[in-house]
Formats: sequence, structure tokens, C-alpha cells
Amino acid sequence: MHGQPRKPPKPEDEAASAAKAEKLRNLQSQFLCFHHNNIYSKEALEVNAKLLEINPEYYTAWNYRKLAVEHRLTQSESDPDSDSDSVNSILNVELKVVESALRQNFKSYGAWHHRKWVLSKGQSSLDHELRLLDRFQKADSRNFHAWNYRRFVASLLNISEVDELQYTTDMINKNFSNYSAWHNRSVLLSNLLKKKAQGFFPKEKVLNEEYELVHQALFTDPDDQSGWFYHLWLLEQTVKADAPLLVSSWPAHDSNLILLGGSCLEDSALSPFNTFHSELGTIPLVVFFNKAVEGVNSSTISVESVLNTKGELTWKPLSTNNSQTAQVWVTYLNYPDIKLHSSEFYPVEVSVGHTQGIISSSGFHYSHPSRFAFKVFVRPFEKDLAGHGVEMVSWREDNFLLYESHSQDSNPILSLDQLNIKDDHEESSSEWRAETIANEIALFRELLSEINCKIGKLTLARLLIAHDTMLSPIANKMVHSEEVIELYSDLMKLDSPHSQYYKDERSSVLLQQITSNRETLLRYCFRHGDRTSSILGNSICLRLNNLSLSRMGSIEKLLWVQMLDLSHNELRSIEGLEAMQLLSCLNLSNNKLSSFTALGPLRLLKSLKVLDISCNEIGSHSIDTTRYLCSSPLSHAEEIDWSPDETVTGDVNLTNYWEAFLIFKDLNLTQLDIVGNAIADEKFKSFLAKIVPTLKWLDGQELQLH
Amino acid sequence: MSSAESANHNSMTAAAPTKTQQEQWVVDNQVFQIFDLFANLPRNAKSALVELQRDNHLEYLTKGLKRLDPSFCVLDANRPWLCYWILHSIALLGDYVEHEVENNVVDFLSRCQDPNGGYGGGPGQLPHLATTYAAVNALITVGGDRSLSSINRWSVMFEVSHFFCNSAYWSHFEPNDMDFKIFCREKVYMFLKRMKQPSGAFRMHDAGEIDVRACYTAISVASVLNILDDELIQNVGDYILSCQTYEGGISGEPGAEAHGGYTFCGFATMILINEVNRLDLAGLLDWVAFRQGREGGFQGRTNKLVDSCYSFWQGGAFALLQRLHAILDEQLANFGPQTGVASDISGGEGSSDGTQVDDKTCHSKLGGTNASCPVNLNSIGYNFVKQPGEMEALYHRWSLQQYILLCAQDMKGGLKDKPGKHRDFYHTCYSLSGLSLSQHSWSQDEDTPPLPNAVMGPYANLLERTHPLFNVVLDQYYEAHEFFDTP
Repeated sequence: MHGQPRKPPKPEDEAASAAKAEKLRNLQSQFLCFHHNNIYSKEALEVNAKLLEINPEYYTAWNYRKLAVEHRLTQSESDPDSDSDSVNSILNVELKVVESALRQNFKSYGAWHHRKWVLSKGQSSLDHELRLLDRFQKADSRNFHAWNYRRFVASLLNISEVDELQYTTDMINKNFSNYSAWHNRSVLLSNLLKKKAQGFFPKEKVLNEEYELVHQALFTDPDDQSGWFYHLWLLEQTVKADAPLLVSSWPAHDSNLILLGGSCLEDSALSPFNTFHSELGTIPLVVFFNKAVEGVNSSTISVESVLNTKGELTWKPLSTNNSQTAQVWVTYLNYPDIKLHSSEFYPVEVSVGHTQGIISSSGFHYSHPSRFAFKVFVRPFEKDLAGHGVEMVSWREDNFLLYESHSQDSNPILSLDQLNIKDDHEESSSEWRAETIANEIALFRELLSEINCKIGKLTLARLLIAHDTMLSPIANKMVHSEEVIELYSDLMKLDSPHSQYYKDERSSVLLQQITSNRETLLRYCFRHGDRTSSILGNSICLRLNNLSLSRMGSIEKLLWVQMLDLSHNELRSIEGLEAMQLLSCLNLSNNKLSSFTALGPLRLLKSLKVLDISCNEIGSHSIDTTRYLCSSPLSHAEEIDWSPDETVTGDVNLTNYWEAFLIFKDLNLTQLDIVGNAIADEKFKSFLAKIVPTLKWLDGQELQLH
Repeated sequence: MSSAESANHNSMTAAAPTKTQQEQWVVDNQVFQIFDLFANLPRNAKSALVELQRDNHLEYLTKGLKRLDPSFCVLDANRPWLCYWILHSIALLGDYVEHEVENNVVDFLSRCQDPNGGYGGGPGQLPHLATTYAAVNALITVGGDRSLSSINRWSVMFEVSHFFCNSAYWSHFEPNDMDFKIFCREKVYMFLKRMKQPSGAFRMHDAGEIDVRACYTAISVASVLNILDDELIQNVGDYILSCQTYEGGISGEPGAEAHGGYTFCGFATMILINEVNRLDLAGLLDWVAFRQGREGGFQGRTNKLVDSCYSFWQGGAFALLQRLHAILDEQLANFGPQTGVASDISGGEGSSDGTQVDDKTCHSKLGGTNASCPVNLNSIGYNFVKQPGEMEALYHRWSLQQYILLCAQDMKGGLKDKPGKHRDFYHTCYSLSGLSLSQHSWSQDEDTPPLPNAVMGPYANLLERTHPLFNVVLDQYYEAHEFFDTP
């Protein structure tokens, strides 16, 4: 498609130009005449060569040459008297024609392809090819035809990837703004590292050298983009752990879980972080990995417990797109409907990955078998209170009191890192990582003290986050979060077209900071003043309101949360919330949620009873922009099993509200606030009342039981 | 800390700008001079500068169709392209050429059509996928029965499959023969299946190169002519996927770097073959979003210079992204009860036609291979554009329009790559196509024209809407869609 005129028309002599066109026209008609009569004489080939020299895009002429070559090769085979050079000389002519065509237009698809075709015959010497390539790559170092041809020649010549890597080094040294060279380098290096080729293992040594190379580029001219993009790739190679890891679970390791059947009475001696109240006779068991995995089942995760009486457990991926790959998985432990001896704790032990089978989506096996254990204490049912005390939950500010922690509270923030068995190599490699990143941080701080550079700031922010994330289990806090937040705020001003991206990044840093240790987290933990509602029970409300959050994060640290206030933020999506399986009350009011699709994760929250989505933007935009911002915008499609029987009859047209229907039909909400959204008219509200039969309060109004 | 020190040492030496940097500075200078000049102008002078010079563009284009400068001889193997670039540009400007010129175009392109199907770069030249795409789009843009019926669909189909065949083998078939049609359906496909590249990709022409461009032009032509089917799309998705790089964009062939033109081609192909959800769309969006530079226009690859033609190639990727939700809408709606409800949403295309409805209710399972419920591949392009397209711009629309109008427009007619370059038909076509997509990216549906604030400059700058998958003007597309509606 890039057939545009390569050269701007020069103010040439009109007559000369017209003569040239006339000459070409003649050549063309002569050529077509030869072609259609299958004439492959020397003269015919010369006419063809002249034509291609003027217009290398004339692909029909290239095909003619292929036919001619085949024809002449057959002839020379059948004629034993021909001199032995003839095959070579036939092909050499072709190579020359290609060369002169490329001199006219080095982006001609046909010319490059013809050269490949000739060389694929395996009869020509390849010595010349690399020199030829050097010439073209000098003329335009970004010419992707030449780079493609280079890969072709390298494989014909069996040039090792190591040598090709050296070539990219040379190209980069000549001109480090050549991103094509950097890109080819990253492709080659990925292969070499994956193969653990000689000299490319361990990868730490290799990557150190790469950092030195890219520093030279960045520090010579920080305004050139190429080095920065390569640095980005390098950083990913440094911090990414290939193998999936278990990062957290609920119940957490070493915790004592108090399970309350039916409704409950307040008991201040119980730690609210570990009190769980269930009407379903089951406890969710959630495992949270650092990346999406598949293959979680009863053979890859074994659970030993008396509670697990029903034999094999079924694990379910918590993914909004119904795929069999997910970062978070859940199963349910049944507790028997008998009175367990009330003073006894029942131990549960979970072993993850002791048999193979858990695989990340990029194909890496779970290789750090780990084990966690917790104890469950079941409080006897208090059946007489069942059905009692269900009151409307109010999110009013004066209902909340800052939680004062008790010494017996267990720590809600618990890292599973220490549980993972690490080998020596792992140890030294994580030391290397920390050191490398510390080096980079020092370097870029210095660079930024001299110049003001957007991409430099972004890189520094990413480095600081990588640093803190790596050290947080040890340091117990995000040391640099203030600095990172400042960098992102700066970037939002400097680079306003991408401010939403920086805002998202800032949100996730803020959440990392809040959840990095017990002390900071407790500042956001509240008691609800109204203890009469059985829904609230003994639990704590985590209030992350008024923080300008544009997205959620750090959910692996928040699996214990049953009541969550995210109101007065700037959330456009709640991706990730599906992992919070204990959530029963959720306040999303006064955010920027613009559609029901954005609420997709709620469909996986089976315990959710109270939901406030008032004062959002649902229905204000006729089009829902959430979907293509999700990793797979079309993914919901497979899941719908919507039988005609379920159609709500009457004056409500279901198709207008199918998005809402999909969200609410599986939830057992008792309370919903939706006022302040464009969609929430009387018609919609009556529709909601129909499809959510459990609903008792809608926008603060008690519904008439039907 | 040795690396820190050595690098630090480097920073002390005078920062020598790189080659790319120097080129970038030249462009920056030219572009920002224009912007500065513009910013300091009085209001009425400003509006004159951002005015689309319709008359001059039309004059430049119309002349090009009648007589080309001899310097165009290098484009001699691309003559259908010239027809398409010029005719499509004229159509975007809401105008058309004289009847006689139209007839000449149809005649000329008929002479480019190979007896065995497909179009070559000129009369007597080999059929080629890219020129077939250009010729088909040009004929659709001309419109009318004479133009559309000049396309021998089953021969085109044949052309698409032809690359795997020995042409002599087919020479005894008459393309218009009914047997041939049947043969095409039953035998060519078997043959295709056997001969198809393991990669699933297409060749540009007989013994030609294989790349993502070839996939797009083949699939686009087949789709717009209503002859796309499962055999043809088999493994195409695998090939495109193998070209999506870790950066998120799509390259011309596996191993190469991501490129704007190929990204559009690969992305549009994936939509047309109903496998778009296999792409890493978040990565693609990320890559393409960062290709818009401070000049307002798009670059084609990482760290390359701005070029107005990417207003369509990269800008088009946004137009595609913004409509993906629409496909989902339709699918979910079609899962609904088989009462009249579903057709409310699906816009009622072919609702009087029973077979169509069946296809639509099955139009689900994106990328799924549900044999019992085949997808009507050929309706994807139609349904795609029938959906409303209001959204927040995921790129800076205003900056792009400003770049096109102020920096790429030649006031004497025609558009160019960037300041300092010369106008040409290719850049005229793709700058205008990108401008049109940008102006219409806010319109709620095709009957509601965009609000004045979506159109930079006077409202008269508004261009005709173009189909974001095929890049032909919508009215012409609808005519062709109806014309080719029979299988």
C-alpha cells in the first residue's frame, strides 16, 4: 500500500520526462508481447531488465523472470553440452537485475521477493548478500524490507543469533536512535535467554550488559525515544517472574477463623478481621496468584480438613470473561450441619502445586510448592435470631467510627512470600534484581536533576514501584510512594493527553501504600455505628472514599473485606473486585461508572447484599466505552444462557435493559441505591424490583412484598 | 556502581543529537512554526487557514484522473490504486466525476481484470491482491450496475484462491459458466484447503510475497463481495496473531517490528473473520495510542516521523476499537428470546428474509467454532458499521484534524505527508480518510450528522462518512452491499 511516488517530482525538463515515459511505454508493450507469447530469449530478458530498472514495482515482470529462469534452467539441464557455469550465470543475472531495481527503489516488495526466490534455489553464493544488506541498511536503517531480508539471509547462512545480536550492537553503536535495531535485538535476546544459550545464562549477567548499552544511549541523548522503549523492555525482563506464584489467600495463613452461623451477637473479643458469617453453610477458600493461571483443581491443590467432608473440591476461576484462566480461584468448604465442639479449632491445611498442573497463560509451570494453614472455629447457630434484625444499611458519615484495634487482632496484611521455598539461585537473582533496580533509580534521579524529561519521569516512577514491590515484604512499607505519586501528578500536568493513564497508575500506587502495612491500613478501617443489622455483624468497613481513585488495585491484600466504601472517587471500572468473595456491602456511589458492563465483576460476588451505585453516569452515555478498555471486550458473550421463560413480561422491554439484567439476575441483593443515574427512571426501577426478588429497599424506599 | 559511573560520564559529554532526533527537530520546527503562526493570527484569518480547500482539492484530483504527469510512470503497476485514491478522495469530498470519466474508469479496470479473475496493476499484468482490492473499491466508489456488475465475483474468488493453483490447470474453465460457479464452491475450496499455506496467510500474487497486507486485501475483497467463507478464513487468524509483537502493534510478517499500516490491516482482518477477540486488544490500543505525536499526527512505527497517511492507518484502528462494543451489543441481544425483540436492536436488516434472521441469531460466539451454529461472515462488515459510534476519543481528535488541515494540506490542492513534502494522491486519499473518521467519530448514528464541535474549522469541512473496515464511502458501500447480497 505504500506505492506512493517515492521521489517528489523535480522541476525536471518536461520533455525529458515525457521521453522517459514514452520509453517506458515502449518497453512495457514489448515486454507484454514477449510475456504473452512465452518468449524467453536474451533480447526479451534485456527488455524486461530495463523495464524493471525503471519501475521495480512492475511485479508481472518479476514473475516473467521467474518463468524465464525456470525455462532456461530446464534448457541447460537438457543440454549437456552447455558450459557448467550456466546455472550460476543465469541466477547471477537475476541477482544483478534485483540490485539495480533496488537502487531505484529499495522498498520494492517485488524486487526483494525475487531475490529471496533466487536464493532459495540454493545455487547462488550468499557471500555478497550481507554486504549488499549493509549498503541498504546504511541508506535507510529503518527499512523493514531490509530487516526482513536480513532474517531470511541469516537463516539461510545459518548465522547464529549471537552474531546477529552483534550486528544489532554495531548498528546501535553507529546510530542508537535506530529503533529497528533495538527491536531486533530484543527479539534475538528473548530467544537466546529462553534457550539458555551458551553465554546467555544466567540472564543477570546478560541483562547487566544490556543496561550498560542502553544507558549510553539514554545519557547521550535523553530526548530520543528508542533507548527508552528498549529500557522498558529490559525492566520487564528484570522484574518479571516467569513462574506463577501464590501471593495471598483467604483465609490467610496462620489465621484463626471464627465462623458464625445464622445471625450473630456482638462479641468484642473476636477479631473482626477474622470473623466470618455465613448463611450458606460454606466458607469460601480463595487463592490469589501473581498472574493468571490455569489447571487449578483438586489434584494440584490439596486441602486437608475435617470440614472437607464432601470429598473432592471444585475450583472455580474468578474471571469476568468465563475463561478457564484466572489470577484468582475459589472453592467452597462445607462445614457440617452439626454442633461442633465449641471450644475446638479445626485445622485446615492447603498445599498448592505439589503436583504439576498449574500453568501460567504464557506457559510457565508453578514451581514453588507452598503450603498454608489456618484454623476454623464454628460458633453454634443461633437459630432463634434468624430472620431478625435485617435493617437497612446506611452509609451516612456519622455512622462510622474509626476502628480501634485490639491486641488480639490478627494482622490482615500477611504476605505469603515467606512460605515459598526458594532455592539458592532464586536468592541470588532476587538480590541482583534489587541491586539493579537501585542502580537504575540512582542513575535516573541524577538524569532528572539535570533535565526535565517526561519519559524519564515515567521510567523513574516505574523503577521506584518495582523497587518497593520487591522489598515491601521486608520493609513492610512502600518507601517511595510519596515520590512516585508526585511524579505521576507532575506527569499529568506535563503530558495531559495521557493524564488518565497516569491517574490510573497513581491510584494503584496509592492503594499499594495504604495496604502496605497494618498501621496505614487501620487508618481506613471503621466500625459501623449501627450494629443491629445482621449483615454488618461484627465486621469492619474499609473506607477508601474520597481518594480520587480511578481504578482498584492491591486486592490481594483485601480479600478479608466484607464492607467496602469506594464512594466519591473517579472509578470508571471495578476490574479486580471479583476477587473479594466476602463482600456483602459495597458503596460505589459518586464515581464515574458509565455502564452496567463496568459492573461486570459484581456478578461473581455471591455474598453481595447491599449495593450503592447512586450518582454515577449509567445511562448518560449511549455508548459504553468500558468494554474495549477491558482486556477482552467481547468476552462476556459466551456466558449467557438466557431462556425465553425468564423474560420479564408486561410493559418492560427487557432488551432495553439486558445489560442490567445480566448483572442483577444472579445477585441476591436486599438493598440497592441507584438514584442519580440517567437510567434510573420509574420504569427501570419497577424492572429492577421484578428481576431482583430478594430486594427489600430500593433507593431508600422499602418495597412492598409481592 | 560501575555502570552508573560510566553512564554518568557519558552524560557529561556534550549531548550529540541522534540522526532521528535531528530529523525530528526539522519536522518539529516546521510544524510548530505553522502552529505558532496560526495561534497568533486574528480570528477570521485563523478560520481561513483551517478551511478545507475543497475546490482546489477537487481540481487536483480530477486532473489526475484525466491526465497524469509522466513522473507517475513508476506507478504503472499500481494504476487501479491511482483510480481508487483519486475516486475515493473525490467521494469523501462529496463530489463525483463526470459520467464519461466514470465509464472510462470502468472500462479501464475491466481491461485490468484477468480472464481468470482478479485485477492486475494494468492491462495485461498479472492479477495481484492489492490491485484487486483497489479496483474493487474503486468500482464500488463509482457505483451503479454497470460498474458493480463488471466485477466477476466468482472469478475474483477464484483469484483469491488462484495463488495456490497452476494457472494452466484452470485455463479450460469459462469464468461465467454456471458449472464453474459450482466448481468454485465445491472443488476450488477443496483444492484451496490442500494448497493453503500452513501459516494460513495469503500470497500477494502468483509466486509472490506473503504478508499481512495480502491477508487484509483478500479478506476485505471477499467480504465486501459477499463471498467470504470458512475455508477462506481458515488459519488466517493464526497468521495475524503470529505478527502481533510484544509492543502490541502488528508487523508485516512474523519477527518484524510493529507497523501502522499492518496493524490496521491485521486488526481489520481479524474483525472481518470474526476472531478479533484473539488479539491482545489492550496491547494494541496501548501501542496505537502512543503513536500520536506532539505534532498531532501519527507516526507509523516507534520513533519514526509523523506522516499524514497514518491518520487513516492508525486513526482507523481507533475507529475499529470504538465499534467493537457494537458487535457485542448485537451478540448479546441475539441471545435473547426468539421473539420480535432481537430484531429491535439488530436494525432489522433482512428481517423480511427468513434465512438472514437465522444467521443473525447465530452471530455469536466470536472466534468460537460452533459447527451447529455457523456465523454469517459476510454480514460482519455491514453490522459493524450499522452500529452507533458515539464515544470518547481515545486519541486526540482535535490535534489530528489540526495537523491534517494546517500541516498536510497544500492550499493549491492535494495533501502531503508533512510540511516540506510534495502533495500526492496516496497522501490525499489517506489524509482525507483519516479526517473523515475523526470528524465522524462522535456521531451517534449515520443519520445524525456530527456536532459542529467535532469538526475543526468551518462546518463545511465535514467530509462524507467512510466504512472503517473497507474504506469506501458509506453510501457507495450500502449500494454495493445490496447489489452483492445474493450469494
